[in-house]
Amino acid sequence: MKRYILGRILRAVLSICVVMSITIILIYTCIPRERILTKDPGLSKFTGDARTNYQYRIWRQAGYLDYLQPSDFCAVSEDPKTCAQGGADYEEIVADYVDRGYTYIEYKESDLGFVTRDYSVPELLINFFANLVNIDNPWYVQDAQNPDIERNYYITTGPNGLPAVACSGCQYKYQLYFDSNFPFIHQNAVKLEFGISYPTFDGLDTMDVINGGQGQLIMTEQTFPTGLTQSSALNQYTCQYKATSTIDHLDQNKFTDNYANCKSNYDAPSMVSTSYLFGIIALVIAYLISIPAGISMARHKDKWQDKIGIAYVNFMIAVPSLAFIYFVKWIGRFFGAPEKFPQLGFGDIRSYILPIIILALLSTSSVMIWMRRYMIDQSNSDYVKFARAKGLSEKEIFNKHILKNAIIPIVNGIPSSIILCISGSVITESVFSIPGMGKMLPDSITALNNKMVITLTFIFASLAIFALLCGDLLMTVVDPRIQLTARKGGKKKK
Amino acid sequence: MTMMDDRFTFVKVDETASEHIAAPKYSYWQSVFRKFFSSKLAILMLVIALVIVVTSYIQPNFSNFSPLDGTNVNNAAMKFLRPNAQYWFGTDNVGKSLFDAVWYGTRTSLTVALLTTVITNVIGIVVGMIWGYSKRFDAIMLEIYNIIYNIPFMLLVIVMLYILGPGMWQLIFAMSCTTWLGVAYFIRVQVMIIRDREYNLASRCLGTPMHRVLTHNILPYLISVIVTSIARDVPSYISYEVFLSFLGVGLTVEDGSLGSMIQRYSPYMTSAPYLFWIPVAFTALISVSLYIVGQTLADASDPRTHMM
Repeated sequence: MKRYILGRILRAVLSICVVMSITIILIYTCIPRERILTKDPGLSKFTGDARTNYQYRIWRQAGYLDYLQPSDFCAVSEDPKTCAQGGADYEEIVADYVDRGYTYIEYKESDLGFVTRDYSVPELLINFFANLVNIDNPWYVQDAQNPDIERNYYITTGPNGLPAVACSGCQYKYQLYFDSNFPFIHQNAVKLEFGISYPTFDGLDTMDVINGGQGQLIMTEQTFPTGLTQSSALNQYTCQYKATSTIDHLDQNKFTDNYANCKSNYDAPSMVSTSYLFGIIALVIAYLISIPAGISMARHKDKWQDKIGIAYVNFMIAVPSLAFIYFVKWIGRFFGAPEKFPQLGFGDIRSYILPIIILALLSTSSVMIWMRRYMIDQSNSDYVKFARAKGLSEKEIFNKHILKNAIIPIVNGIPSSIILCISGSVITESVFSIPGMGKMLPDSITALNNKMVITLTFIFASLAIFALLCGDLLMTVVDPRIQLTARKGGKKKK
Repeated sequence: MTMMDDRFTFVKVDETASEHIAAPKYSYWQSVFRKFFSSKLAILMLVIALVIVVTSYIQPNFSNFSPLDGTNVNNAAMKFLRPNAQYWFGTDNVGKSLFDAVWYGTRTSLTVALLTTVITNVIGIVVGMIWGYSKRFDAIMLEIYNIIYNIPFMLLVIVMLYILGPGMWQLIFAMSCTTWLGVAYFIRVQVMIIRDREYNLASRCLGTPMHRVLTHNILPYLISVIVTSIARDVPSYISYEVFLSFLGVGLTVEDGSLGSMIQRYSPYMTSAPYLFWIPVAFTALISVSLYIVGQTLADASDPRTHMM
């Protein structure tokens, strides 16, 4: 069993790598790099050489190429200042870069130039996978003005009075901490990095965009390490190292060390949490409706319950989901439900009702029809005939005997549904303008935000793959007769 | 009652009677059509589907509608006309007749759905049959399938469209380039079920080459399965087109499909509701009618239903 799980995990990782490699290669080679600049409002502010510099800076940040201005490549020179003006060993350094495969391009308005080199396909992949997992360590900080910084881990009491593992020399001060927010234990030690979002959410790390809070700042009364107590929105657990040269007196008022670059607390949940909130509630409702409905359809096969159920399922399959969503939204108007989510916002329960009803109803049809199918298939088995011969009532047979067997394939699908509910709501989130992760994918595509597309592809693909694995494992828990290892051939994955 | 000889008569031996086959005449396709036309709902839906399909391919040729046409952009008198005798479905925000636009859009959406269905099913059936029949090919294909099918279909299509850019051919390519694998897997399972039946073993022993076993022995068995698969695909591809174009990643305004129309008109949902609801109603009508026709045809094409 352990070997099987290990094998599955290895395959899952392989799947993710293959899909990410294909996605990255296609995105970097098929989309003209000029196109990503077309949505940037900042570009029109520049002309001439400044424009060229800006373009190449963007491309470097987007991971297309390596690009060095004279001030960058002259850093190795013996006399950097003269070199950056075109003097000293400028020519030799440029020639050295040209030998290494770089191209030298002259500026139009000055005698100087810059060197640039496009990344090859293997380099693109190496850059992505090498920077993907970022493990924080006590040797992370390299600050010339603070050379004597201690490099160790220690256990301390966090700002909320609970114990926490902190680190000196790491990027983040608090590596592991507890608080009252789900999932209660949080860590800053291992982070996934995909790069900087551009042109939407410009300058922010893509993971911060998805994970960061939204809405207004929440001010709370806090006590800082210096003993200062004031109303602030900072979340002290997210503090990162700040170079000594950038520390100002405001930071010094609050913090005794260099860990002063903190994120803030917001009143609205992050994109991920928003999507999850909607998804999970909708999923619970969907299962609460569809499992009893499926049982009733199977029990009263060919009676009116069954016929109504089948008509409903056919209707849900045939009608395009977009038409259905707008139809329910139109009905909702008569009950005073808001047109768009932001009209009433996170605080009002009425914002949630329509999207949740829609999400729930959209996923009922498949569970209903499979529940009915499995129960009917089971109802001809020998054990059912035996139960009937014993004189058990139909209700007892269906609810106690058949249900336990028929629910197994449904259980297999539950982790997938839970994990995928964040991506399944793409269209509902778009229609209601809910600030969630599902809406983020089409939004970042229309904004030509390469890094965000790659990030979301990675997240959705990994979630889907591990959901399938969880489903299979959960199935063995529910039904001990199932042995994953003895299975031969492929299993239909849905 | 006693048995008397005079209660019986001799009959002449009829040589031809013994030659007569008692089983009723059976023709597969005739039975399919008889079964199909026994459902009144299916006939109604078939008529609706045919009217929509035929009109959408003929009407745009007469209306000369073009989504890029901007003759009435500055003519305020032509904008937002409610449905009337001259403009049956009214006019939109740039003064174009919605009636013409809807038929043009239906044609684009139908073309996308039909072409994608044909491409995915042809590739899927050919590959799926070889996949199910050859054990060596099976091992390779299963690995590929496991890698690709772990990833949600929607995600692949959206990412493909992002890379290829919006457009009709790009959309068809993006939707077909991974979905055929699903069809192929479905066919593979069906082929594996009947691959090792006795008549196929006998056929193989007699030296029948693989392609003949596949086309003559196995393919006829798969017709009802294939019809079911196609029947499910066409409406779902129409939904996908609408969905993707609505999100702004599928077809653009220039292609003038139903999905891009719904996207473009959704801001007018309250001010000019007919602009939004007519394309939505068309989408629903066309996919419901095609779905019901397809389901009935799929049921009818299963030989087990013919003898009832």
